[in-house]
Amino acid sequence: MAAIDPLVRELSQIVGPDAVLYRREDLIAYECDGYTVRKQPPRAVVFPSCTAEVSAVVKHLHERHIPFIPRGAGTGLSGGAIPLGGEVIISLVRMKRLLHVDYENRLAVVEPGFVNLKLTNAVAAKGYYYAPDPSSQYACTIGGNVAENAGGAHCLKYGVTTNHVLGLEVVLADGEIVEIGGVPDTPGYDLLGLLTGSEGTLGIVTKITVRILKNPEGKKTVLAYFDSVEEASRAVSDIVAAGIVPAALEMMDKTAIEGVEAGNYPVGHPKGLEALLLIEVDGISAGIDDQIARIVEVCQNRNVSEVKVAASEEERARWWANRKTAFPAMGAISPDYLVQDGVIPRSRLPEVLEKISRISARSGLRIANVFHAGDGNLHPLILFDARIPGETERAVQVGSEVLKACADAGGSITGEHGVGIEKKEEMRYIFTDEEIAAQIGIRDVFNPQNLLNPDKLFPKPGRCAEMRTAPGEAR
Amino acid sequence: MSAPATKSHYLWEDPPDEEKYSACVHCGLCLESCPTYLETGHEQQSPRGRVHLIKAVAEGKIPLSPGFEQPVFTCLDCRACETACPSGVQVGSLIEAARGQIRKAMPLTGWRALLHAVFLRGVFPHPSRLFALGKLMKLYQRSGLQALARKTGLLNLLPGHLQAMERVVPAVPDPVMKRYPEVIPAQGTPRGRVALLTGCVMDVLFGDINEATVRVLTRNGYEVVVPRDQRCCGALHIHAGDREQGKILARRNIDAFLHARVDSVIVNAAGCGCALKEYPELLQNDPAYREKAVQFAEKVADISKFLAAHGYEKPTGRVEARVAYHDACHLAHGQGIRAEPRQLLREIPGVAWVEMPLADRCCGSAGIYNLTHPEMAGKILDEKMKAVPEQADIIAMGNPGCMLQMMMGVHRHGRTQRVVHTVQLLDWAYQREAAPQEERGM
Repeated sequence: MAAIDPLVRELSQIVGPDAVLYRREDLIAYECDGYTVRKQPPRAVVFPSCTAEVSAVVKHLHERHIPFIPRGAGTGLSGGAIPLGGEVIISLVRMKRLLHVDYENRLAVVEPGFVNLKLTNAVAAKGYYYAPDPSSQYACTIGGNVAENAGGAHCLKYGVTTNHVLGLEVVLADGEIVEIGGVPDTPGYDLLGLLTGSEGTLGIVTKITVRILKNPEGKKTVLAYFDSVEEASRAVSDIVAAGIVPAALEMMDKTAIEGVEAGNYPVGHPKGLEALLLIEVDGISAGIDDQIARIVEVCQNRNVSEVKVAASEEERARWWANRKTAFPAMGAISPDYLVQDGVIPRSRLPEVLEKISRISARSGLRIANVFHAGDGNLHPLILFDARIPGETERAVQVGSEVLKACADAGGSITGEHGVGIEKKEEMRYIFTDEEIAAQIGIRDVFNPQNLLNPDKLFPKPGRCAEMRTAPGEAR
Repeated sequence: MSAPATKSHYLWEDPPDEEKYSACVHCGLCLESCPTYLETGHEQQSPRGRVHLIKAVAEGKIPLSPGFEQPVFTCLDCRACETACPSGVQVGSLIEAARGQIRKAMPLTGWRALLHAVFLRGVFPHPSRLFALGKLMKLYQRSGLQALARKTGLLNLLPGHLQAMERVVPAVPDPVMKRYPEVIPAQGTPRGRVALLTGCVMDVLFGDINEATVRVLTRNGYEVVVPRDQRCCGALHIHAGDREQGKILARRNIDAFLHARVDSVIVNAAGCGCALKEYPELLQNDPAYREKAVQFAEKVADISKFLAAHGYEKPTGRVEARVAYHDACHLAHGQGIRAEPRQLLREIPGVAWVEMPLADRCCGSAGIYNLTHPEMAGKILDEKMKAVPEQADIIAMGNPGCMLQMMMGVHRHGRTQRVVHTVQLLDWAYQREAAPQEERGM
């Protein structure tokens, strides 16, 4: 048997032997997150139970120049929590308490491992909820949401995570503990905005203050079936152009519908549909029926084949469970999938979808489209089988082509899943070398030795002017 | 990325099915449904982590090692993850197959091997030995031995969880198998002929529940056959990785029940019902039994589902009690039966319904898990007990293993709830139609 890594003993002295994983089999379970195209086990996994332990662990690693990655539930889709070689994973799932709810000021304080949906469940009895609702909200942690600046179906009207974070406690790369925000309208630079979405490269969030919202007075949900993707996409633009701001405006195409219907939460959508829209409006009860009538009218003008309003809360919940489990439901029709996260101007939906369909045909890989149509956030799911030699590489290539199409249409390469290791190179579609170098300069202020989640977010140096490359000695 | 099948460390018959683990896309939506993940926070103790490791063994990344055995055997096989899984991964089946491989590669040794040989192979498959064990238990309870053992502190020699179990084991009644004829006639207009799986633990420790089941069925016009040749369902063996013994028992039961020429095979133990319904998968490579297994499995029905589907006489006798319901994992997650038992209970006059939060969260019983993993089972039970509403008088459920575990929970947490089987409450309501004065004897 190989001798135990001395680091494991040292970490055990900080957090206790029950809170460090180092056995080969255990580490294999941490070799990837929700992005499975690339796998690499960490050097060890450590489970601190409080901020002081996070700080002590980070200090220890920092002193030894050992790179590390914060990880929540590991539901991320861009590989942000996947080791690239020699990193220690700092898992925050044991820090999962809801610390405080202040209804008067409409805020809640949580530890990073607290699960997103649990916050809504905890405040629901008093008529409140937490708005950002990524589809993985059953399992993903709010700490992870902050790292990725997660979005969700209802972000069309309510904004993404950054619009709901009021304060953070952060452990910096050297173990120092700092507090950011917390005071309404903190003067100076918007560090909250900088930290949110930094993908674990600037610090480890150990406490989060978030906004909670009062439940809308009324809510109605519409399902509209179309025989043409183009008509459905035009209906999306028309709805927003008509001045309606739905709480959510979701679209699925034929392949996506096939997937969700084969999965564990089927709705019973009719066979042979080309596209469907799931539209929700909420707000004060008075205007809702009027908005629904206008939405129905827009859909009819676009030759909708059937449009219906959820008759009960139960039916509404079923529609949403069907939509929210759409990505993983693809497992029922394909062994593997790669999900992309492009953003485009809403008005260019038909043309970009057409482009994606051509990319699919050319590559021979099926693409299912499930997306937040209202804010132009596309999630093409590239279906493939990793067991077939070369297919993974082809899927990655297709993903990149899709993002290029989005960038060319005046959009972006990520709406809510982050860059991670997946879209590093595609950052070049959006930024020049100088712009990337400027961002790395910001990273270096917080993370000068590149120990925090190294080699994520930015493309490999070479064409851009990244000076620091080798994180730590353990590579 | 992909590995040729030749790298697989699964060398024996019935390896985990590639189609089943390929359906997992590692999304993590199962995490929060898994009691052992919630307890540990460890990926390898989560459904997707376990499936990932099962796949890793097939890809030759890791061997069948203790580091693989531990997470695979720490799984409760509660299948809550199957309810949560968007793509329908059959985690339970994968775990059971992996356990079969592990037991082949790493046979049990020492006292664990002895326990397995004595109980799982020596006692459970043999009704006469099971009943003898039941008699011993009865003798112990009634001869004064139990009182003596408790008084002298002799029991303190046992590990804590066994002491607790000793406390809560009900007064052992006579098994139905011994007391009833093989065919019990229907009352009133006959509506059909059904068979009853008496089960092993059920008939030995909870013969009164089997009796209640027989009374409810005959009262509703069913002729009830209790085939003498039936055996333990084999779930415990399959869960322990002993698929050979599981298959022997399965073939025996298929023969016994098909021979009985009944419309349905009624089961009142969720774990057994689930195992019976999965015989076709267990015997898929057995040409002589493959089709018979399908034919048999189609007849299997949980008592609550059977009554709901075929209709039953609504009781008019009252059971004045505040009732909460616990979903046995192998009813809710294993067989998708949730609404039927609730409906049945709520229609009993006098029952005041008390909603139990997280009703479908495992209690930690999980077959013999509470004996093999007492520490984890204890923690999971403690979590379960937190959810049991103080105001409930009764916790109803549809599985004997859960009943024992919940009785332990009530005992350990100083609670007052009575733990009963769903069908018992219905039976009481029927009985009280005849003697309405006794109705307040809760």
